[in-house]
Amino acid sequence: MSGPDGGAAGGGPGEAGNGVPIVEIEDLKTYFPIRTGILRRLAGYVRAVDGVSFEIRRGEVFGLVGESGCGKTTLGRTLLRLQRPTGGVARLEGRNVLEFRGRDLRKMRRRMQIIFQDPVGSLNPRMPVSDIIGEGLLAQADVENRWGERKVRDKRVGDYLEEVGLRRDYARRYPHEFSGGQRQRIGIARALALDPEFIFADEPVSALDVSIQSQILNLLLDLRDRHDLTYLFVAHNLSVIQYISDRVGVMYLGKLVELSPVAELYANPRHPYTIALLSAVPDPDPRVRKKRIVLTGDVPSPAAPPPGCRFHTRCWLREQLGDPEECATIDPPFREIGGGHRVACHFAERIREEVSTAAVIGVEEPPGVPGGADPISQAS
Amino acid sequence: MTSVLASAQGGTRADDVVLDVRDLRTYFHVMDGTVRAVDGVDFQIRRSGRLALVGESGCGKSVTALTIMRLIDQPPGEIASGEVWFDGRDLLTLPADQMRAVRGGEIAMIFQEPMTSLNPVLTVGDQIGEAVKLHQHLRDREAFEAAVQALRDVGVPAPERRVKQYPHELSGGMRQRVMIAMALSCRPKLLIADEPTTALDVTIQRQILELIKEIQERTGTALLLITHDLGVVAETVDEVVVMYAGRIVETGTVEEVLLEPRHPYTRGLLSSIPSRGKRGQRLSVIKGVVPNPFRMPPGCKFEPRCPYAWETSVQGEPTCAQNEPELLSLGDGRASRCWLHDPRFTGRLRDYERPTAGAEEAR
Repeated sequence: MSGPDGGAAGGGPGEAGNGVPIVEIEDLKTYFPIRTGILRRLAGYVRAVDGVSFEIRRGEVFGLVGESGCGKTTLGRTLLRLQRPTGGVARLEGRNVLEFRGRDLRKMRRRMQIIFQDPVGSLNPRMPVSDIIGEGLLAQADVENRWGERKVRDKRVGDYLEEVGLRRDYARRYPHEFSGGQRQRIGIARALALDPEFIFADEPVSALDVSIQSQILNLLLDLRDRHDLTYLFVAHNLSVIQYISDRVGVMYLGKLVELSPVAELYANPRHPYTIALLSAVPDPDPRVRKKRIVLTGDVPSPAAPPPGCRFHTRCWLREQLGDPEECATIDPPFREIGGGHRVACHFAERIREEVSTAAVIGVEEPPGVPGGADPISQAS
Repeated sequence: MTSVLASAQGGTRADDVVLDVRDLRTYFHVMDGTVRAVDGVDFQIRRSGRLALVGESGCGKSVTALTIMRLIDQPPGEIASGEVWFDGRDLLTLPADQMRAVRGGEIAMIFQEPMTSLNPVLTVGDQIGEAVKLHQHLRDREAFEAAVQALRDVGVPAPERRVKQYPHELSGGMRQRVMIAMALSCRPKLLIADEPTTALDVTIQRQILELIKEIQERTGTALLLITHDLGVVAETVDEVVVMYAGRIVETGTVEEVLLEPRHPYTRGLLSSIPSRGKRGQRLSVIKGVVPNPFRMPPGCKFEPRCPYAWETSVQGEPTCAQNEPELLSLGDGRASRCWLHDPRFTGRLRDYERPTAGAEEAR
């Protein structure tokens, strides 16, 4: 099954949008109450998203990375009003979506859509594909688009199935009849059929095999070009993020710790967490020897984040600098360090470039030189 | 079979081979027919050797491991043929009680999902202790101490406290450490790790990979790693076996397979990984999906997706679509299951070996 080949062929990721923000997020917070006992007494909050600010430019792919529990999915879901915000502002073209009610809210949903991670769990097994894709159309039907009429709707369902590289007549089938990659295409068609401007892609390729993953990534980029889409692309796979994103934000325990254009982030990361994250990625080239920075321990609980810098409990840089006090007491501001590169670390400038280069890009050894993994004698 | 890997006929050939799998076939008889999940697999692991079985979901890599451990439910499963020589014994013909001693004792296994493979109602110490009591006949007190030591060995902080905790009190990385502690508690000669880091975050994956490598070097246990992640393969093992649709399609050392893949499937897999340097280009893609197990193509199983497959009009010449190639030896332990390596097609092989930029762009 190949992706549909449209006018915008060869559409690799282009340059970062045109600079006009489509989404602006300011100090966004989403807390989940923790209730205990039979009286459901409020015992505290899980601070899933805790004061995040950034903007997404029209036409760009904004990649958001971080480990499980860092709040990246909650951030996206809050932005789409699938989760109740605790505080902050999220503007879609200047209007705060967090305040939308009723009709406005429903109209907004058409403009901002989501692609889910799990291609199995996100499709209702009792619905044929025509209803899965048609449901959103029906909810958004009005006199103008006439999506309330079965015929109009079915035509649109078929069109969008073709758009994502599936056959029109698949509309009659049920989700279990499809492979993982095909199901993810159905999920994409479902989002796309509403003609959105902004799509929150929540780990859209994480559940797929490598060979299928690349098909879906190509499709997402083609669709971006053909439909003038803007993506917020969440993933934990750093190679996928590097491939698809124009700019990247790195989250740790509910906060953005670094934000930068993609090339800059992967060549010159400035936050110790980002450096450790990038150094941890196994490289399929056996010649590449990275200087691994192994973080000790686990991520602290977002219900009781450490004071000061949230990363200080695991930070290798703090250790190297002799445990400066401000790390444990002062929450570092998310500051601009030039070229659209923002970082939340008191000591970002103290990281030597050799350290980050060796950790992130690694040293490539020429083949045949001893010191690569042992060449084993196969013969006997 | 001309498989190079099955070349040692009759008994374990040398002392340095710890596991010798020969012509293994595991089928599942289900309502819609028979799924040949593993269909003629041969490989060997040397003592203290590290080998990875690589492939995408459904290629048969996990079933191979489960068959070695004799953890296949029969029925619906059936081990249709094969031998699994481990330390001079064929595990497939071993009586059940002896197999129990091997399983968890001499061969240990760690699984992908540490939560579901731990018992939620037993403490960590009880679970590690259970293994050593069974296999090393220790008493309760000794077993408890062995459990504490096992946790210390895998870098669990405060093992005296952790040993009394239940799995739900531990994080994912900590649970996987417990699994590894349990697997290693009986000093196995072979450790089978089935996607040991797939469910973990990248920084935790790094910790676990370093741990597995460190332990493997320290204890000298052989490692059979099962994974789909070629990055993990590149830095963990020495030898690679690539599987597709129940068959081995390529074997070689890790450098050979990852840097100079010989089989079109391996090549497609490698070039479809998004990585640095591919930004701004379309990713190459392996077109289509894996074949339906009930309707396997008659010839090469990869032919429907292969950008290099060809048709022939020459009488008597094999065709990719009709004739399945054997795993052809390329010397030095390398092998590839592809007609390209048949001496009749050296011309095509030359074209394949100098790929043009567009040749891989199979969409």
